[in-house]
Amino acid sequence: MADKNKAKFMPSFFHVGPEQIEAAKKLTEADFQLADEEEKESVIQRRKSVSYWRDAFRRFRENTVSMVALFVFFIIVLFTFVGPMLIPYDYSSQYRTSAKLSPMDNSEDEKAVDGLLKSGVDAVYATLLQPGSLTALRAGDYYFNFKGETYSFSLDKNLAKASIVVDLDQPEVLSILTDKNLKAGTYTKTKPLAYTTGAPSDTANEIKVVKKIFPHVFGTDTAGRDIMARTMYGGRVSLTVGITAALIVLVIGATYGSISGLAGGKVDFVMMRVVDVIYSVPDVLIVLLLQVVLKNPLQAWFDSSTSPFVQRLGDLGGGIISIFITFALLYWVGMARIVRGQVLQLKEQEFITAATAIGVSNARIIKRHLLPNSIGQIVVATALQIPSAIFLESFLSFLGLGVSAPMASLGSMCSDGLDTITIYPYRLMAPAIILTVLVLSLNLVGDGLRDALDPRLKQ
Amino acid sequence: MLSYALKRGVVALLTILLVATITFFLMNAVPGSPFLTEKSTPDQIAKAEARYGLDKPLIVQFKNYLLNFMKGDLGVSLKMQQDTPVKIIIFEQGKFKLSMRIGFVALVVAVITGIALGSLAAYYRGRWLDNLLRVFTTFGVAVPAFVVSSMLLIFFGVKLGWLPVVSGSLDSATSYIMPVMALSLYPTCYIAKLTRTSMLDVINQDYIRTARAKGLGTVKIIFKHALRNSLIPVVTYLGPLTAGIITGSFVVETTFGIPGLGKYFINSITNRDYPIIMATTIVLAALVILMNFAVDILYKAVDPRIKLVKGES
Repeated sequence: MADKNKAKFMPSFFHVGPEQIEAAKKLTEADFQLADEEEKESVIQRRKSVSYWRDAFRRFRENTVSMVALFVFFIIVLFTFVGPMLIPYDYSSQYRTSAKLSPMDNSEDEKAVDGLLKSGVDAVYATLLQPGSLTALRAGDYYFNFKGETYSFSLDKNLAKASIVVDLDQPEVLSILTDKNLKAGTYTKTKPLAYTTGAPSDTANEIKVVKKIFPHVFGTDTAGRDIMARTMYGGRVSLTVGITAALIVLVIGATYGSISGLAGGKVDFVMMRVVDVIYSVPDVLIVLLLQVVLKNPLQAWFDSSTSPFVQRLGDLGGGIISIFITFALLYWVGMARIVRGQVLQLKEQEFITAATAIGVSNARIIKRHLLPNSIGQIVVATALQIPSAIFLESFLSFLGLGVSAPMASLGSMCSDGLDTITIYPYRLMAPAIILTVLVLSLNLVGDGLRDALDPRLKQ
Repeated sequence: MLSYALKRGVVALLTILLVATITFFLMNAVPGSPFLTEKSTPDQIAKAEARYGLDKPLIVQFKNYLLNFMKGDLGVSLKMQQDTPVKIIIFEQGKFKLSMRIGFVALVVAVITGIALGSLAAYYRGRWLDNLLRVFTTFGVAVPAFVVSSMLLIFFGVKLGWLPVVSGSLDSATSYIMPVMALSLYPTCYIAKLTRTSMLDVINQDYIRTARAKGLGTVKIIFKHALRNSLIPVVTYLGPLTAGIITGSFVVETTFGIPGLGKYFINSITNRDYPIIMATTIVLAALVILMNFAVDILYKAVDPRIKLVKGES
């Protein structure tokens, strides 16, 4: 590669061999002329200076395995963060009539409604009587929004094995279809339903509009929750935990390590002994204890606070917060050691001496000179911290100490799947495979980053 | 050397003390009492607490615990096996022995297979065996222990029926197979990766070329010259490996129904049986810390060039 470039940029007359000497002897005065523009151009070497990141990016792009891993990682990110917007199920809704379905299956009433929708009606409405049931509705006042119009109606009797159908092409826009046996798309009785448009009354409940029936791609669990939706939310939890924990480790470890390294002497000695001690504390024991200790106080905090941020934390549950706290307490030591090692090397170099000589403060030396110069190692260590945090979270959730129900996590789903493994093996497969692929892709991306950002470490 | 060992010994003891302190104050930070149940009256709770000395100020309790600990008294269980001495629960009811046995077997398996696979991969670098091993080890470090155990359980236990689904107290040799496989997969793959890298590093050194030049056989070169020099990263990993196997044992003991210390520890936390939590944490922590200590000493045995003490020649 390098030789080829050289050949391109070095015109042949730079090379002096016997032929050239012979040629030189035959030179006449006519040969000495001013070079024209074109000739000048050909001698000038045009090579843009390559920045550190551009160079690293080029190296990363050449690494096929890491590029594939990065692609897979993006797919998982899309699956977990965009996926829940695309499917009509969520992690906590229990569709009781749809319990224990196999992958790609739908329940009887979902099939019936699906048949209806395929027969050309505009929309079907459901369901408050049984959560998730599409063919039952309790007596009462209801409203729904459809194509910019609000429709209200009231039921004086409970409805069962029936669908409320809207068809704007029909003279009676709203009608109730009933059937005793409820087969896909066939209803024996049709009855018009009186409705009003405009603002609904205060007592009316909104009901959900069903325009399409979506299959339960990974099946459903015993409580009738869609496993694919839970996998998506679970993956989201895992990714959030992994990235947040890695950032916590980054901030604490980099600050501690650079202070220790730059200070040197006694300060460094004491700080590093602290690191040694923390390093040999068995982390998992502490996490397990923290889980139990923090559970109640954290729950009280979640319940009393009104800030939306705290509410979101509350959805994750106290278990996850104690994982963050453990990372903040124990896991930063690896990062601190790496950064200290880098700082020790860098601080002897002339540019740091120069900075000190012109009176730059220590804080600024760390921020402006030391950390940017060890960015390669820091990025790699942070990237590899993410899968290890995901591992820890799923491990704890598997033991029942991580996320609190009904929130899903890949670990807690594996644990649920294990209970019914002999009858429904796919309930374990879906989360286990996503978890493995996620950790695998992150490991490979991390390895690729290490090779790209710090070629000296290449294995 | 001796002064170094002493110094490290002091640090190890300090770490154990630190772990004990953290554990003690953490578990006591939970509001409420371990004797609080739906039926208990405040009077009963107060009586029970007074009986076990839980009514005294925390710092006094901690001092008493440490003093008793020095005398070898670990206290008695509060709830799980009420009034049974903790020492008997942990050491004489077979829990510690079970966990140690399975953990030790897994550790030995991981080290031996890991080094063997790593050496093979390095020896056949770039050939199909190396590529196959690379895929295997890359997957091996990405699959969590609980997924491995579940998969093994489905395949060998349920589908094929070759191995017992519940390992119990490990009475037969076959009951070891699945727990050990689940426990050692990750460390095996990690050690194989470490060994391959450092082996390749060593193989390119001058002294290996010299050995080859003087006509030594490949086997002798690998075992006598290359392997020993490439073991340092593996030795470093033994400390974290022990911690990892303890962590893994929580999962494996739960999945395969082994009544070991890991499973008991988790139960003791949820039951808030303070003396058992304390004793188990200290025992497990001491295990990890001693292993780290042993690793530092081992360093020197593997590579005499390493200086443990500044200024040592």
